[in-house]
Amino acid sequence: MSLRVLNPNAEVLNKSAALHMNINAAKGLQDVLKTNLGPKGTIKMLVGGAGDIKLTKDGNTLLKEMQIQNPTAIMIARTAVAQDDASGDGTTSTVLFIGELMKQSERYIDEGMHPRVLVDGFEIAKRATLQFLEKFKTPVVMGEEPDKEILKMVARTTLRTKLYEALADQLTDIVANAVLCIRKPEEPIDLFMVEIMHMRHKFDVDTRLVEGLVLDHGSRHPDMKRRAENCYILTCNVSLEYEKSEINAGFFYTNAEQREAMVAAERRSVDERVQKIIDLKNKVCTSNDNNFVVINQKGIDPPSLDFLAREGIIALRRAKRRNMERLVLACGGEAVNSVDDLNPDCLGWAGLVYEHVLGEEKYTFVENVKNPHSCTILIKGPNDHTIAQIKDAVRDGLRAVKNTIEDEAVVLGAGAFEVAARQYLVNEVKKSVQGRAQLGVEAFADALLVVPKTLAENSGLDTQDVIIALTGEHDKGNVVGLSQHTGEPIDPQMEGIFDNYSVKRQIINSGPVIASQLLLVDEVIRAGRNMRKPN
Amino acid sequence: MREIVTVQVGSYANFIGSHFWNFQDELLGLADNPESDDIFNNHNLDMNVLYRSGETHQGIPTYTPRLVSVDFQGLLGSVSSRGTLYNEAPASPGCVSTWTGGVTTHSSEPLKKNLFLESLHLEDEAVGNTSSDSWKNGSRSEIQDKDIVECLENGVQYWTDFSKVHYHPQSLYELSGLWMDIEDFNNYGFGRDVFSGGLRGEEINERLRFFIEECDHAQGIQFVVDDTGGFSGVAGEFLENIADEYANIPVLLYRVSPDTSIDPKSRKQTISRNLHDVVSFSRLSALCKLVVPVGLPSLSRSRTSSFLRVEDEKPYHTSAVYASAIHSISLPFRMEQLGPSAQSSYTCGAMSVNDLVQILAGQSRQNIISILDVSMPAPSFTGYPAQQSLLENLQPLTPDVAEDAEDFQAVESMTVHGVYRAGRQRASITEVKDAVQAAYDNAVTRPKFSHLSVARCPLPVPLPFPSIFGNLIGQHGELLDTPISGPASRGSLEVHSIPMAARLRSSNAILPFLENRLGNLRKFGIARGALGTELLRNWGFGKDELEDIGETLSKMFTTLNPYSEESSDSD
Ligand SMILES: Nc1ncnc2c1ncn2[C@@H]1O[C@H](COP(=O)(O)OP(=O)(O)O)[C@@H](O)[C@H]1O
Ligand SMILES: [Mg+2]
Repeated sequence: MSLRVLNPNAEVLNKSAALHMNINAAKGLQDVLKTNLGPKGTIKMLVGGAGDIKLTKDGNTLLKEMQIQNPTAIMIARTAVAQDDASGDGTTSTVLFIGELMKQSERYIDEGMHPRVLVDGFEIAKRATLQFLEKFKTPVVMGEEPDKEILKMVARTTLRTKLYEALADQLTDIVANAVLCIRKPEEPIDLFMVEIMHMRHKFDVDTRLVEGLVLDHGSRHPDMKRRAENCYILTCNVSLEYEKSEINAGFFYTNAEQREAMVAAERRSVDERVQKIIDLKNKVCTSNDNNFVVINQKGIDPPSLDFLAREGIIALRRAKRRNMERLVLACGGEAVNSVDDLNPDCLGWAGLVYEHVLGEEKYTFVENVKNPHSCTILIKGPNDHTIAQIKDAVRDGLRAVKNTIEDEAVVLGAGAFEVAARQYLVNEVKKSVQGRAQLGVEAFADALLVVPKTLAENSGLDTQDVIIALTGEHDKGNVVGLSQHTGEPIDPQMEGIFDNYSVKRQIINSGPVIASQLLLVDEVIRAGRNMRKPN
Repeated sequence: MREIVTVQVGSYANFIGSHFWNFQDELLGLADNPESDDIFNNHNLDMNVLYRSGETHQGIPTYTPRLVSVDFQGLLGSVSSRGTLYNEAPASPGCVSTWTGGVTTHSSEPLKKNLFLESLHLEDEAVGNTSSDSWKNGSRSEIQDKDIVECLENGVQYWTDFSKVHYHPQSLYELSGLWMDIEDFNNYGFGRDVFSGGLRGEEINERLRFFIEECDHAQGIQFVVDDTGGFSGVAGEFLENIADEYANIPVLLYRVSPDTSIDPKSRKQTISRNLHDVVSFSRLSALCKLVVPVGLPSLSRSRTSSFLRVEDEKPYHTSAVYASAIHSISLPFRMEQLGPSAQSSYTCGAMSVNDLVQILAGQSRQNIISILDVSMPAPSFTGYPAQQSLLENLQPLTPDVAEDAEDFQAVESMTVHGVYRAGRQRASITEVKDAVQAAYDNAVTRPKFSHLSVARCPLPVPLPFPSIFGNLIGQHGELLDTPISGPASRGSLEVHSIPMAARLRSSNAILPFLENRLGNLRKFGIARGALGTELLRNWGFGKDELEDIGETLSKMFTTLNPYSEESSDSD
């Protein structure tokens, strides 16, 4: 899908033309993303030239699939994607807010107002809105045991904007539990410790949380067990593969015996490493009830596999680097880089290890672990785009839960915050501002309404009616949002509709920055020149 | 098993790769076909080195390249990145299983399959979806081969337009979300940012891991990078990960550049191009075991093309020549490793990627840059002992190479395959060995060490190969005394196979290549007030880094330079 709002080849335009070009580009991008917003938004199906299909409800994914050529649109898109990189949500809202700031400004500019004045007003309004957000947010106390109900509500709000309700609700517990599983007190949450794994499965749409790890490969030896209980887990990064050493290339030998001798010596040193692992196995597996599993980041060649298989050891090679960390968090023990200092303390433990085969794909489940700090969300779906959809939603959900824990706060959603902030700006802030910068504050305030307006529009409601009803309630002191079904004012708190504080804050922060840059433009930037992300 | 995983990064690398895999596919098809010549039925090359066996969820066996290809989104033309082999549930529009709300569809203009791809499609349907069958006697009754050849001659736009290979769904990776035209994706800095942005780097690394994990014992990574723009930056980051993660797997790097013209009057472009060239060369060569610069400024006018009719402005043409040479170089990696006394009548001179690296870069000078020479077609050994013609016909595909360099320390590795003894008689392995030996005995300068690999099997010319043969080349690649009548350019319908010789050599003939780059770096990048300093800083290269690069290059230069102090103690 391509977006050419205006001729991107126009090199330099005069100031006024450039300004209008920017405004149009921002509005153009807004139009494309508008229908995506909220639980009543539409999903977009993009059919490529070769007939391949991409489906997305997510502003971030949509932007990445678009071939945007207009430099202004690119700038906005980069800001929106940066928004997602930083806080994991709010892409669509960012694009809409920037578009609306430009649209509101256009009215005043057409009446002859200098953009500088508007920009000054934006700055004042932005600072006031951020202060207001501090008062408006709902604090969430995160003691030893975070309030799981609120985490689930935040997750559910975001999941329901990406998946239909029943499917979203199925994932709510999963994402909340996944984050709680990896959370360690006093440490930042590293979402990479939640592995997201998928399987293509003809009939099955199902997602589940595996407390433990699912690896996307299996052992490479026919005699190794496909299922084992009570397993010691050795996580290592040790080459168990015969390597020709540097000087060991065949040509520099005078005779075959010399060559053979070198080969044998090299082989011996690999075998010794394997033997050390076997020794450790024999030390810990004193009875037949226990098993031993080696998960190695480096290669394991067939002779080494043979050797291990003969001893009843299950071995996987070329594990993902990140799984070294995850395995240790899930099973305990430590990841070793050498077999020299192997001892039983290095080993982790899993109650069950088994392999699952689907065509040529193999999966190894490491489950029933004690006290895991890493886990896997396993997504099954019939085709790539279903899987991609669920994966995107899961990522959003995880981010939402993480943000809530780290923000120690949430913000009432369904447009409640935007309406409240708008009333605050219009009723209180505007008065305190001298001169025409007031109009900048007003433009900013009205632009905030793009969120509730678009939510209403996507629900097929009359936007004016909805906004009047909402502002009316707010003026009476009732903090309400809109019902996606009827447009009637509802209490988001009651309905459990919460957005992330950090997401909202970033939208408020970055929107006016980009809009101001676009308004104060001197000349038009050319496409593709500025690759770096705006800060 | 000693597997090789191939990586292709960038459009031109993929053009070359497309031809390369077509050759392999052709060899597979010919070997399966009882009507083929004996040399194809018994080529004695282990294709499992380059290919993997797999199966779909339905249990249908597949055989696909061990390949990771990276390209710009949209450059796969009418082909889907997932290929067609593994498509169990062809996604039908209208079945959105994750959303009950509205759906809006945005369709790009469907790209029409060209005649060639159309014929492949028909054939797949007829055969009931198998992999690499020899399509030459397929059932494409309505579509004429000559129309296909003509359609490709006039209309190749994407590398997929002429590819007959089924790729694994993990193989083709598209870079998306860049929001720039490929023309603007033109420097190292862009590429580096692109790789690290979003999940791209991680996804690409995972693709590679998929192919490496299943290797019992990977002998090497054959890495082809289009070095004209941002793709070098992508490749640089990728190679860095490879060096980290797979330290023991040697990387053989082909750094290819298409013949793209820049406006010679634009100083800015010239500086940018030259600086890109030097920084990317030094970054990439630091991350591999052997680097082979490939790509002449004007292939058609080079001596390599004496018997060819290449059109420089068609990447479809030029990439075919480079791919042929890379194919020849790769043959020894898949020859059977025999014991010292055993002999095969089909191949000799097996070696692994590591062996090649050790021959060329492991000895005294440790020079990791190799020159690629090719003779296409290789002449026959008329008369006995052979004339000089074989050595004379080997001409460089590496740019900026000195013509008559004298280097007593040179080392090289040569592959000769499918050559004739006289007339239309294929030379035996021993005859080739003797002839090459004789040629060296008569040569004015001889390398210090030379490795020879020989195969009986020539380069097969697949139907989608371009019409780049001159009219002195016969049906089986033999050189004729008088031109054949008919059109001046001959293609796959007229020429079915080509005897080849290709060589990698480590020689001081590469000095001009280094000298040029070092000069450009100093002039535009390092010198006080240099015009490119700012540019380089934008790409992420600071002053210190540039000086390091300069130092590394000049070290490479002095070790090879016969007049420099360090190497004057030659024996
Ligand atoms: N059940 C709901 N009813 C009304 N509004 C909702 C509901 N759930 C979420 N929203 C609102 O939808 C918006 C988020 O929509 P979304 O499509 O996720 O866009 P973004 O990419 O900006 O996050 C927020 O403003 C949020 O308050
Ligand atoms: Mg959202």
